[in-house]
Amino acid sequence: MPSPDRPDDAPPPVRYRARHRTRYDYGEEVPVSHHLLHLAARAHPRQRCRRSQLMVGPQPAVRADYSDYFGNPVTYVAVQEPHRWLDVASELEIDVRAPLAFDAGATPPWERLRHLARALAGADEATTIGQFVFDSTLVRGSRDLLDYAAPSFSRSRPIGLALLDLNSRINEDFAFDATATTVSTPLDEVLTKRRGVCQDFAHLTIGCLRSLGLPARYVSGYLRTMPPPGRERLVGVDASHAWVSVWVGGESWVDLCPTNGRLADADFITLAWGRDYDDVSPVRGVIMGGAGQGLTVSVDVEVIDD
Amino acid sequence: MRPHWKLFLSSLGALHADRMAERWESARRLLRQNGVTYNVYGDPQGIERPWPLDLVPLLVPAEEWRQIEAGVSQRAQLLNAFLADLYGPQALIRSGRLPASLIYADPGFRRACHGLPVPGNQYLHFYAVDLVRDSDGSWWVLGDRTNTPSGAGYALENRAVLSQVLSETYRYCQVERLNPFFNAFREALLALAPGRNQPRVVLLTPGPFAETYFEHAYLARHLGITLVEGEDLAVRDRRVFLKTLSGLEPVDVILRRLDDDFCDPLELRADSSLGVAGLLQALRAGTVVVANAIGSGLMESMSFKSFLPSLCRHLLGEELKLPSVASWWCGQDAELAHVLDNLDRLVIKGANRDVVLDPIFGADLSAARKELLRQALRQRPWDFVGQERIVLSTAPVWQGTGLQAHHVVMRVYAAAVGGGRYKVMPGGLTRVAPEPGRLVVSMHSGGGSKDTWVLTPQRHHEIVGVRQPPQRDLRAAAEARAIEIRGELRTVGGDLPSRVADGLFWLGRYAERCDSAVRLLRGSASRLFDSGGVPGANDELDPLLRLLVWHNLIPAEMAKPETSVRELLPALKAAIFDPDHPSSLRANVQRLHRAAHSVRDRLSRDMWRVITQIDRESRGPAGSGEGAAMLQPLDELVTSFSALFGLEQESMVRGPGWRFLTMGRRLERAVQVVSLMRALRIADAARPVDGRQATSLSATLEVLLELAESFMTYRERYFAVVQKGPVLKLLLVDPDNPRALAFQLAILRDQLAGLSENSRRQATIYNPTATALAIVSEARDALTQPDLVRNAALLRTTLDTLAANLPEISNLLAHAFFSHAFARSA
Repeated sequence: MPSPDRPDDAPPPVRYRARHRTRYDYGEEVPVSHHLLHLAARAHPRQRCRRSQLMVGPQPAVRADYSDYFGNPVTYVAVQEPHRWLDVASELEIDVRAPLAFDAGATPPWERLRHLARALAGADEATTIGQFVFDSTLVRGSRDLLDYAAPSFSRSRPIGLALLDLNSRINEDFAFDATATTVSTPLDEVLTKRRGVCQDFAHLTIGCLRSLGLPARYVSGYLRTMPPPGRERLVGVDASHAWVSVWVGGESWVDLCPTNGRLADADFITLAWGRDYDDVSPVRGVIMGGAGQGLTVSVDVEVIDD
Repeated sequence: MRPHWKLFLSSLGALHADRMAERWESARRLLRQNGVTYNVYGDPQGIERPWPLDLVPLLVPAEEWRQIEAGVSQRAQLLNAFLADLYGPQALIRSGRLPASLIYADPGFRRACHGLPVPGNQYLHFYAVDLVRDSDGSWWVLGDRTNTPSGAGYALENRAVLSQVLSETYRYCQVERLNPFFNAFREALLALAPGRNQPRVVLLTPGPFAETYFEHAYLARHLGITLVEGEDLAVRDRRVFLKTLSGLEPVDVILRRLDDDFCDPLELRADSSLGVAGLLQALRAGTVVVANAIGSGLMESMSFKSFLPSLCRHLLGEELKLPSVASWWCGQDAELAHVLDNLDRLVIKGANRDVVLDPIFGADLSAARKELLRQALRQRPWDFVGQERIVLSTAPVWQGTGLQAHHVVMRVYAAAVGGGRYKVMPGGLTRVAPEPGRLVVSMHSGGGSKDTWVLTPQRHHEIVGVRQPPQRDLRAAAEARAIEIRGELRTVGGDLPSRVADGLFWLGRYAERCDSAVRLLRGSASRLFDSGGVPGANDELDPLLRLLVWHNLIPAEMAKPETSVRELLPALKAAIFDPDHPSSLRANVQRLHRAAHSVRDRLSRDMWRVITQIDRESRGPAGSGEGAAMLQPLDELVTSFSALFGLEQESMVRGPGWRFLTMGRRLERAVQVVSLMRALRIADAARPVDGRQATSLSATLEVLLELAESFMTYRERYFAVVQKGPVLKLLLVDPDNPRALAFQLAILRDQLAGLSENSRRQATIYNPTATALAIVSEARDALTQPDLVRNAALLRTTLDTLAANLPEISNLLAHAFFSHAFARSA
């Protein structure tokens, strides 16, 4: 969240080391695999990446780094010799600052933002804000989503209050259940079943907001593994996490984590954002051949002292 | 009547229904023979609809065409410049000339393609535009086709047919020819790979089930480029390669008939199995050109149309020459308000291709439905466009007894020919509404098509009504022939994708399998009718019935002597014509047809003609088709299969394609011979001890000779009554009998050996080709065993071994050459 006027007495940033490992076992030899990786941390006003390292085994024949349309760093790797497994290990060292305190009651009425979002002029604002109001591959606005969101968005309610309410309603109404859904479970099924994982809850929140005409992005990242002293361990550690960033006017965005029912803070490390999971999935690939496919993912985020 | 119509009609002579019907029939015959079809999605058979062509072309006089030509060329340039900006600097959005939501609300804007290098900023290589004429005779743009414009191949085929059927009129009217346009396009495609000595250009098709697959194969042949499916291509080192029998060959230019979101499962639709994983990476590295650039489909969206007049001034400094029908994109407040206020005089359409919506004519709606529409418009305004209704003019269409006026849409094509210029095809595909008064014109909804004749300028002031003496129509014939020859001329030594080798191999196998099934079925059917309804009256019927059972053509209990002809006939009929009977002739012809369809660009026109004929003949006799009516199609099929075999031998270059077709043929024939002998238990047919057994043995041998097409040969060689020893010699070991097993094995050995020489894959330790060769040489050795035809036990085990080993050759070839690792998401 951009916060140009950070007071001098703000708490110091937290320094993390994040390790993310993805391993595929193909069962049979695979002659070629292509992968797109969203594993480096994007430019972010509250983050500073000190070190970023990516190791892929077997050694890829091709590696190319570039930025995607949303400004996220992407890496393309191709292994072109027969291989039975693929190991993608990424390691980051990164400083994360907590956002400024969010005065939800002082935000503009949500209808005002809907109006502004439609009237955005200029390519930059349209790219950074306007494009997140429309449907995307995995998240389409709908009547059902609108109906679900409606109780939180009463007339002229400040958007901050409406968002906090929606966030905690989703957190209460929906059960975290890693077996209930897959990557391809459609949103209306999540809405009916009332269960899912962090990706589903992020998509659901975005779907609600887009149905209302409000811009919202999907954020892919990590959570700190061990909570600060005296706080509970978060849901979604040990894996890559997802939450939602919502435009609240000007250059301000507020990050909501419906999975944990709270605002994202210095415990959240942002890797990439896009319209939905399909835009920024950490590891996406196409392999030729292969039999079954075993997948092991581990994420470990520890606080380090320098 | 306008003068060009007078010209046309005067040369046509009086419109006698009989004469026109005759012409119509010959046009239909030509289209059918050339296999011009149109696939309809969702049909379980992947059915090919015959292509509907009207006899009366749409005539466009020269000066009218000049305006259309200038307009289409300008519009192609404009849309190209538009794409170059949106996928590049986006200055149009930055400067506020376009609302950003225009692209962001449109799923056709492919974010992954933004910033990809596009040589010469040439996004749109092949463009089509649908034009309609209003009642004043002015042409209007109804829609643009910028993704994978279809129909140009059908236009060529329409021309080939009509220039033959109406040859005199065609010559008399002096019609602009189409070929120079395609030649220029071909040159332009080759020029897209500068610096490459022999650039490889491929046409990427979604495959045989695509709606316009006929055209993909046809255009690939016509342009002399390789037809490929996504699985024929692979990306290595950020470069695209064609998987050929001899390894990976680099590809320089891809002419794309696959929708853009399906092109690369890695970066576009992850669920696409039709694309090429890594294609966008190759584009990003600048190693390949895709025409049209992926993402170009964006320009098809209705939402863009209303911005074109001002953009044309801005980007090209000119006024837009061809007007679009006025439209309002509801994604803007003022436009939405206008549409809501004027529903009665507007047609509501989807703003882009992802909005599935049949055009809604506001005036036709009840008050309640109008209110629902208003709600929908307010809910998701960016999904809708309101378009003005225009009064369409009509064109005459031949309808059996006379001319009828139908609405038409003319699709005109333009190709980028370098330096940002476009060449417009002088002609087009004109589509006709299915009935007078219908406003929606599409091939889907059962409309027809017309050839489009652009008249050359010099013809224009000739005096109407002076008939020139009929003469041989050289020009029409030349055009038809040029189209034909172009098709036959494949790039010499053209690339053979592994998939195509596979298809040809199976085409050979199915053709031979059907051929032997036809002979068996014909032999059985004719004996049934000859027997006068008394089974057993004919000794040969018994072995034939056993063979029918062996091949799962009829149920086992039917082979009993007490089965009556009345029971047998329906079973036999099903064995021939029933497509749902898994072993029937019809089912196998369908497999043959599918295999042929998938390699269609590799087959000569004549071969395809015979294959369509076979397909038709195997559908069964019209009407009840009782009794001897069943025999006629079988006789025809025997002839057609011989014709197919003859064409394989005489009209195909002995390249790698032919090699696989022939291996399929010969392997199947070898398998069939062995199978025949095993089914008839020839090894166990002992020396007859009584007259009945003697009759039975000689009947069996005669059936064997008949089915193996070797009766005449036997008679020539032995003059005697049929005897087991000589028959077996003739069918198994005789090196000169083209039906003998030894003959098939000799060819298989030669072809496999040739394959092994050419193959780069033999270096691997496991060499399937070598294993296949070993099986063949083992089989050849087995045939040289001295006692083979006399020693029953030896013969039996030899036949059993052959039956077990020969089919393995198929698997080995599949493993060596056809096996594809299918791409899947990880």
